[in-house]
Amino acid sequence: MNIRDFIEDLDFSRKSSTVVFLIVILMVIGFFIWWLNIPFIEDIFTFGTIMLIMALGFQLFMGNSGILNWSYIGYVGIGAFASAIFSMTPALKALQIPTMYPFLISLHLPFPLALLAGALVAMIAAAIVAWPLMRLSDSVGAITQFALLIVISVLLSQWSQVTNGPRTFTLGGTRLTTFWVALGVAVLVIIAVYYFKESSLGLKLRATREDRYAARSSGINFVAVRYFGYVASAGIGGLAGGLYSHYILSITASSFYMNELFLLLSMLVIGGSMSVSGAFFGALLVTLVRQGLRQLEMLFSRSGFEASGSAEIVVAVILVAFLIWKANGITGGRELSWISIKRRLRIGSGKSDNIPKN
Amino acid sequence: MNAQVLLEFAINVLSMGSLYALIALGLVFVFGICKLINFAYGEFITVSAYVLYLLGVFTSLPWPLVFLIGILASVAIGFLSELVAFRPFRGRSLDALLVTSFAVSVIMQRLFQLGISPRSKAVPIPAFFNMNVELLGVITPLRNCLIIGTTLVLLIVLVIIMKYTVLGVAMRGASENFVTARLMGVPANLVISVAFIISGFLAGVVAIFWSARTGSVEPLMGMSPLLIGFIAVVIGGMHSLPGAVVGGFVYALIANILSLTLPTSLLSFRDAFMFAIVIVFLVLKPEGLMRGNYQEERVG
Amino acid sequence: MSNCTENAPILQISDLYVAYGSILALHGVSLEVHKGELVSICGVNGAGKSTVLKAISGVLKPRSGSIRFKDKDVTGWKPEHLHKLGMALVPEGRDIFPSLTVEENLRLGAFGRYQAKRFAADLEDFFTLFPILKERYHQAGGLLSGGEQQMLAIARGLISHPDLLMMDEPSLGLSPNRVDQIFDLIIELKSRGITILLVEQNAGRALAIADRAYLFSNGRVEYAGRPQDMAGDVDITSVYLGSQKGGDVG
Repeated sequence: MNIRDFIEDLDFSRKSSTVVFLIVILMVIGFFIWWLNIPFIEDIFTFGTIMLIMALGFQLFMGNSGILNWSYIGYVGIGAFASAIFSMTPALKALQIPTMYPFLISLHLPFPLALLAGALVAMIAAAIVAWPLMRLSDSVGAITQFALLIVISVLLSQWSQVTNGPRTFTLGGTRLTTFWVALGVAVLVIIAVYYFKESSLGLKLRATREDRYAARSSGINFVAVRYFGYVASAGIGGLAGGLYSHYILSITASSFYMNELFLLLSMLVIGGSMSVSGAFFGALLVTLVRQGLRQLEMLFSRSGFEASGSAEIVVAVILVAFLIWKANGITGGRELSWISIKRRLRIGSGKSDNIPKN
Repeated sequence: MNAQVLLEFAINVLSMGSLYALIALGLVFVFGICKLINFAYGEFITVSAYVLYLLGVFTSLPWPLVFLIGILASVAIGFLSELVAFRPFRGRSLDALLVTSFAVSVIMQRLFQLGISPRSKAVPIPAFFNMNVELLGVITPLRNCLIIGTTLVLLIVLVIIMKYTVLGVAMRGASENFVTARLMGVPANLVISVAFIISGFLAGVVAIFWSARTGSVEPLMGMSPLLIGFIAVVIGGMHSLPGAVVGGFVYALIANILSLTLPTSLLSFRDAFMFAIVIVFLVLKPEGLMRGNYQEERVG
Repeated sequence: MSNCTENAPILQISDLYVAYGSILALHGVSLEVHKGELVSICGVNGAGKSTVLKAISGVLKPRSGSIRFKDKDVTGWKPEHLHKLGMALVPEGRDIFPSLTVEENLRLGAFGRYQAKRFAADLEDFFTLFPILKERYHQAGGLLSGGEQQMLAIARGLISHPDLLMMDEPSLGLSPNRVDQIFDLIIELKSRGITILLVEQNAGRALAIADRAYLFSNGRVEYAGRPQDMAGDVDITSVYLGSQKGGDVG
């Protein structure tokens, strides 16, 4: 299949329009914020973009397979630590974490390669453990994923020679994840996650979500399909983790645990877990709400009223409200696309109205 | 390996296993009937522990009354959370239920942080709990004997309820086939509320012994027992009450064996080993140790 | 007990629409059952027969239409309340509780309407009607054979002394001997004056014993009337019932 066929196959008005829209929206917001030139808002945007990438990786597996992927945040953590180990200079590592294994201390890669290496480590970890788990479904599957998260978390928090144990792992230096780096990677990830969904692998994975048995009888080896989706998701998670650690500049294992998982879950549920647009808007909304509430919290603290943590309560309540009334999230599992916009605005001849649900 | 060490080991496993069995039972009652994996169960325990703290520190009520009120608190929270947070989700998918209970758990944790304190607080426990006694030649805190005894009593009571009362039969029927039970006239709301009440009751008992052991309460303390409960339930077979009990003891057994056999350098990884063993077990035997009467789905 | 007049039906369904999600399964179904009658609902697989029973018993909420039972509007009522009012369902596939003993299954069957003396008397009666239940009284339901489970399911339905007994495909999956037993039993129950609404794919047998019958197709009532009036109509028998004998349709 050559490039020309590939491009012809892309039905622009339906399929690719989503990617274009999401990227355009992101870049418009990005350029606007850059133009504003207020560092504090730039920081929020950068952080939000990193969370967006995390949410997209989460959506890649969970949205398409329908499996609640508790262990995902563990891979974010693995990527965070791994990429840091690769990017820090040996001298710095020896200083910060004297007990680190010598061969780890000696590793050194430029930042972009370190990011990719971190993602790769996460993918390898997923590739090693995931295969037998992909057969399990429903409650047992959820608990196993949960148990896997605990294993990863304990390893990250106890393996002093790699992660400095429960103590903080300080990267030091400058913030390598800049505004533009985050934005650039986000654009690439949007493209990757969307085309995964529309690829034959993604399609097969989505088939298993609907009806495992029907999919199986159509010849889909859904253990394999789930496996690849899971590993791909871990890779993006690892990438996001790398961006995260090079933004925050100091991490611990506890940064990649239930709280963060809950945040990602909220983004997907509120935005709509079945579509990339859902992850996009969910991440956007939750970030805005949290930041807004944080500002309120700080206002309250100044007047003597301790209110930290209330942001999470509000997000949780919104989450429950969505689950009750709009379980498919804002987007309802549909993608933002040229067709859907035309439909909303009632323009066009309407002849493409037989649009299969995404 | 002399008899003394063996005996000490046995008492540790029995006392730990008893506590874990109670935790697991609290989870499985609700899961059996509603198919809900109740993340907020940890918070039922925490509420009770906070009540023990508040009453112990700010009042001079006698300890039996404090314990009683603590248990009533978790029963109330159990009943209320079903009424308010879970009832709207009845009949929804397993995933929606799971996420909801997760959200409820987060909300309650934050409320503890905001309403009381993010820091851990010392829970006053009657002194005799931690007094050392001699049992079969082994020195052990009294609370270990108490938990074994309490669990025994509670198990007998629960067995009597489940086997010899109509309500118990109705609950067992409902956990096998909820719709058919309703067709027989078993009221859905009653059975579910009772399940949550029992779950809350067990959480209250667990809170007493858990805070006796750790001596403190903090907003996130529910996570550890919750995790233990999950694993014990899954090992024992998610659809079986006896399975939960067995799972609790098996978990305690494995944990204690690991504590003894792991080289010191790896001891801090004990939980990782624990859960890795659990994962391997589940991959090989997803239905758990005790076969329930419900077909879990496993394909491939 | 019902205080409706002799002529008012004990069960009356009007214009019922029932959907599974967004797919309509029943399109404006109307039917009625009078006290003491044995009414059969027949039709091929997927015609909506079981759906009707599920809607009547409260398992499914109808989208529109009404259900009246004993002169009360019970549309949308919960299953447990309908049971208390006097409705009993013998579900498709038996659905007995496998881990509960025969005794416990029966006790549960009487849940909303239990009376100790009556229960004891009923047991005596059931042990004559279903001797196998006496043998297996303390065994777990899951150990019974298919036919025995069907007996148990029917006994469980009867033990609450319902004003309306509904049965969903009682002969499904049973050997010919057992099928005979079941239909003999149904005739016996009818002779005792029990009002029965019977859903059966085995149209031949069902029509032989019914007072009236409804023929379903694609979620609609295509024909309603007495079985003897249907026998002559070739269209009905071939299109809606498949073959006359056994009625084993795809």
